[in-house]
Amino acid sequence: MQIYLPIAELPVNMFMVFGMGGAVGFLSGLFGIGGGFLLTPLLIFSGIPPAVSVATVTTQVVASSASGVVAYWRRKMIDFKLAWVLLVGGVIGSAVGVWLFGLLQKLGQLDLVISLSYVTFLSAIGGLMLFESLRAMARRRAGARVPSRQPGKHNWVHGLPLKMRFYRSRLYVSVIPIVGLGAIIGFLGTILGIGGGFMMVPALIYLLRVPTNIVIGTSLLQILFTMAAATFLHAVSTQSVDVVLALTLMIGGVIGAQFGARMGQKLRGDQLRLLLALLVLSVGVRFAVNLLVQPDELFSVAVSPLVEATR
Amino acid sequence: MNTSRRSSRCRHVVVATLAGGLAALLASGAARAESLVADISADEVRIESNFTGTRIVVFGEIARDALTVGRPDPYDIAVVVTGPEVDVTTRRKGRFLGIWVNRDAETFSDVPSFLAVHTSRPPHEMAPRSVLERHRIGLHFLNLPIAHASDVPITDRANFRAALLRLRVASGLFAERSGAVTFLSESLFRTTVPLPANVPVGDYTVSTYLLRGGTLLAQDEQELRIAKTGFEQFTFWLAHQYSAAYGLIAILLAIFTGWLAGVIFRRD
Repeated sequence: MQIYLPIAELPVNMFMVFGMGGAVGFLSGLFGIGGGFLLTPLLIFSGIPPAVSVATVTTQVVASSASGVVAYWRRKMIDFKLAWVLLVGGVIGSAVGVWLFGLLQKLGQLDLVISLSYVTFLSAIGGLMLFESLRAMARRRAGARVPSRQPGKHNWVHGLPLKMRFYRSRLYVSVIPIVGLGAIIGFLGTILGIGGGFMMVPALIYLLRVPTNIVIGTSLLQILFTMAAATFLHAVSTQSVDVVLALTLMIGGVIGAQFGARMGQKLRGDQLRLLLALLVLSVGVRFAVNLLVQPDELFSVAVSPLVEATR
Repeated sequence: MNTSRRSSRCRHVVVATLAGGLAALLASGAARAESLVADISADEVRIESNFTGTRIVVFGEIARDALTVGRPDPYDIAVVVTGPEVDVTTRRKGRFLGIWVNRDAETFSDVPSFLAVHTSRPPHEMAPRSVLERHRIGLHFLNLPIAHASDVPITDRANFRAALLRLRVASGLFAERSGAVTFLSESLFRTTVPLPANVPVGDYTVSTYLLRGGTLLAQDEQELRIAKTGFEQFTFWLAHQYSAAYGLIAILLAIFTGWLAGVIFRRD
């Protein structure tokens, strides 16, 4: 069934979009990630303009993180104060991201920056995760216990000024790395249409030593607000959020996520991380191939943004 | 040759006026003794949520009267459907530090956002270049002025022009179909112009030209409006006129959907 997208100004097959939302939702439930980094390229490859894909996925990420936040809130596993400080950084990062997004679109280099960022981040993070999960698997096979982190141990982050106390996370750290982390993830999220959960969670655990049980809920809340801000800024500055596309993706996504979460409980942690690492890496490689191999069509056309007629 | 044609036209006008009783509609055509009456199947195309493209039928009649000079050449009809004009930037990728990036760009101004040319036979057989260029009969006769100075050398400009046409044809927004205008009789003609799903919205013109022996005898023009309606139009309008409110609505919708899913699939 074809449905006309009012902002993208083209019809898409509703079941295809619903299916993409569902498949990505399944993986997001399985791995506990937002799935934006998979959904945005899928939409772009299926012919939806990159600007609309990126802006609309931010809206879809709001929905998927909202459903997670509800579950963690009920179990009181959210550090609201920490989320607030991350959010301050997130809004700054998003604003810079939206500004750069518009600028790059004007210069015609938006696609390049999106591709390059995907290659860099996905390859780096996918590679790290692959290495870490293989090491964990090898160690488990050898019979050794995986050493857990000592909560008292400090690193350079804890020497920074402007310290603040976070009771729920039992933390006393500088706000600088927290605002910085929020800003980087808000910035990337806006440019790439990703929530950044797969970067936020390890950073909170390893860099700030937030207790693992608090991390996912807090990260989801922060992503919810950052992506809501990104949606708003995209709506105002680029007008490329398509609600019809977003709603179709959301419905597919939340249903898929439930099945994914159930499937995820049957797999071991290191197996999950290995699969996720391979998935992340393959998306990165796909983008790298696009950049390195000579394209069949060297030319592209774009209607120059002019004063839009109101209708 | 030019002056003689003009004088013969004057004579015809005089004769026509003297004869009197001719409808005002036919006045201009009467000067050449042929006139053209054309119409389209719908003067408005409404884009709704289930829009997957549509087609319009352009039909008409070549009216002749006693003054028609019998000539051996056949009548030719060209139907040109033109969408609102926009500036279009064509970019070319080049290799830079080992990766393929957009390097050169050329911006063309006043490019029709949609252009369908239907003719009864290949345009270059119908009339000289000057006539075809003036009325945009045929994609090869489309003037594409550049919007502003660019680094692209003039010798290279043709490549950008060709790429623009090629990509527009591939996306279905430009089309040239010679032989697509069919004659139902000596004087009745018809053609069906497909409008693809990605057709840009706006005010279109449908121009019909009657040619014979390389001369434009008569022309007719209709307005065609392609507009989103109902929900689609409202959404677009809201997103552009009240973008802040639109953004807030999108966020609330997303939070509500997420919350609802969290409640429905509650596991504890």
